Amino acid sequence: MASPLPQVLLDGLFAGGTYALMAAGMALILGVVKVINLSHGAFFTLGAYVAYALAERGVGTPIAAAPLAAVIAFAFGVFLGKSFVNPARSHPFALPVGTLACALLFEQAAQMVWGPHPLSIEAGAPWIGPGGLVIRRWGVIAFLSSAALLGGLKWVLSARPGLPLRLIAEDEEIAGSLGMDVEAIRYLTFGGACAMAAAAGALLSPSGAVTPTMGRAPLLLSLVVVIVAGMDSVAAIFLLSIGLGIFGNACAWLLSPQWSYVALLAAVCLLLSARPAGIVVTAGRRD
Amino acid sequence: MTVRTGTFLRLALLLRGPAALFLYLFSSVFPAAPCVAAAHPDTLKIGVLAPLSGPYAAGGTSFVQAATLAVEQANAEGGVFGQRVTIVVGDTQGRVDVAKAEALRLVSREKVSALVGAYLSEETVGVMEIAAAQRTVLLVPVAATAEITDLVRREYARYRYVFRVGYSLPQWAEMIAAFLSDRKVRRYAFVGAGIRWNRELGETLERIVAPLGIAPVYTAYYSPGNPTFDTVAVAAAAASPDIVILADPGRNSVSFLKRLRESAPALPALSIGGALGDARLAASVPLSAPVYVQAAAWRGVSPAATAYVERYEHRFGAPPVGYSDTLPYDAVTVLVAAWRKAGSTATEAVVPVLERGTFAGTAGDYRFDAAHQAVWGTGPGALRGTFVRWERDGARIVFPPR
Repeated sequence: MASPLPQVLLDGLFAGGTYALMAAGMALILGVVKVINLSHGAFFTLGAYVAYALAERGVGTPIAAAPLAAVIAFAFGVFLGKSFVNPARSHPFALPVGTLACALLFEQAAQMVWGPHPLSIEAGAPWIGPGGLVIRRWGVIAFLSSAALLGGLKWVLSARPGLPLRLIAEDEEIAGSLGMDVEAIRYLTFGGACAMAAAAGALLSPSGAVTPTMGRAPLLLSLVVVIVAGMDSVAAIFLLSIGLGIFGNACAWLLSPQWSYVALLAAVCLLLSARPAGIVVTAGRRD
Repeated sequence: MTVRTGTFLRLALLLRGPAALFLYLFSSVFPAAPCVAAAHPDTLKIGVLAPLSGPYAAGGTSFVQAATLAVEQANAEGGVFGQRVTIVVGDTQGRVDVAKAEALRLVSREKVSALVGAYLSEETVGVMEIAAAQRTVLLVPVAATAEITDLVRREYARYRYVFRVGYSLPQWAEMIAAFLSDRKVRRYAFVGAGIRWNRELGETLERIVAPLGIAPVYTAYYSPGNPTFDTVAVAAAAASPDIVILADPGRNSVSFLKRLRESAPALPALSIGGALGDARLAASVPLSAPVYVQAAAWRGVSPAATAYVERYEHRFGAPPVGYSDTLPYDAVTVLVAAWRKAGSTATEAVVPVLERGTFAGTAGDYRFDAAHQAVWGTGPGALRGTFVRWERDGARIVFPPR
């Protein structure tokens, strides 16, 4: 390969796919339930451990583990949504602290069950593309899954089945007055978002090491993506994720790897100072 | 602000579900403090400082397991002065402030006779202050920054209680240089997390290998927040080195090696004292090119090392990684031997014994120089570390030549 730059940009595309995969669930929680869920990364970790547990027993691949992880996370998410998030929603500071406590508790529990040592799943050999480009398997999976997940979310929100979600996101009082069970929709949405995070964790588990604290970095980046993109446009979330992935990798290549994160966060700060409500905001929205 | 009784009642009712879950999980997660010694008048206590939570929990857990094994061994040999030895653990969380607070707690409240720890260089430098102020012996097994021994050399009267069992950065670098020379390496890439230990090691290694005609062709330190492993792996491979040196003691060494194998399947890699010493992790990494690991000791290096590995494996169900466990084991062993030689656990009696004595450990025989640094090098019984290469059926020792 003549120049590594195309490889760096392609890897940036894949990195963006991983951000988008996590951001999909986060967008749903922020948009509909309207809470900052700091336990989102813990569900990502849960998914990775489910994938590891299946792979270790030789009974499934990470792709096969994703639905199982999603079901488990959905059950936990619904429980958490119903027992803690819904009741405490009116206390703005209680939720971030409470969900963070849940995340830390999960990390400790994972450490007790699986141990603190890193675990790993075989990633499989990459495909070789034109010009010697290395096409990483997990990257392709992340990119396609995030596109499918966010595309599906966009379709649901724009079609009839997504009407309750849209209405609750827009105005809970009106949704309630129309006879919708707002509480139930909120905790089911919370559970669905947790399921998305767990599926993401299972799918991405072969890309690195599985550890109790592995969900921390994706949590921060997905939160950044959703807040900067705004919660009104699923397409903006996807495109911003991809953009930040490519930007981070390009900075790592052109400047230095240690400056990549700084440059990424500086770009985010600039975007937020220019458009504090997010890049895409629907006019006339009521909060 | 007016708060009604009903508000509390509602809040209590709302929180009863999560509270019950929390209490259940908490009691499952923290059933007791198994490593904390029960108060017993005939017990000698060693304070062990290691991160048991947070991102360095894996290394910290190995650390504590090895220390536990060492005191069990000491007790099996009759203890010290007929007294049992126990460890009292302080979880440093990988944070300097917590490490210092835990060190103070162990010395002042738990009344430990000596300290072993901490894990990170930053933590250890902080703990040195407590050891100096409390006049308590501190054995440093893992932290490698030059500042530790520099302080002992410069301010001997204040820091003379501090002894480093683990290798110093120049010793690390000299061992790596000898290995690179043996492998006929001329160009290497040096990659690691942007922490102090890695940077100091990278600079020291470059200086030490220069006279051997070996030079770095690519150096990168990534941010732990967004490590961009793929870009670093692509750039490292593009520089055409003979080998890539991974200076990351944690989980990132696995993630990076996977990316490297995808980008350059035939490029050898050397992991320095990292998680890749774990056979379970090494099994998940493609071995299309050599994967070397540097360790303090390994099964087969010596009868003592083999006995240690077998005991560890039997006790904890998995083999040690050869670094973050082996050196703490040796630190406790050296301390117990010094107590026995001194006939006392009193600091003023133990320090001269540590300064003048030779102590047998798993990795070799420990002697301390004027800066209280264990002397690693060549010669019979000397501490010199080892390099292993992972194969499908396990690791083989490849250096030093046997």
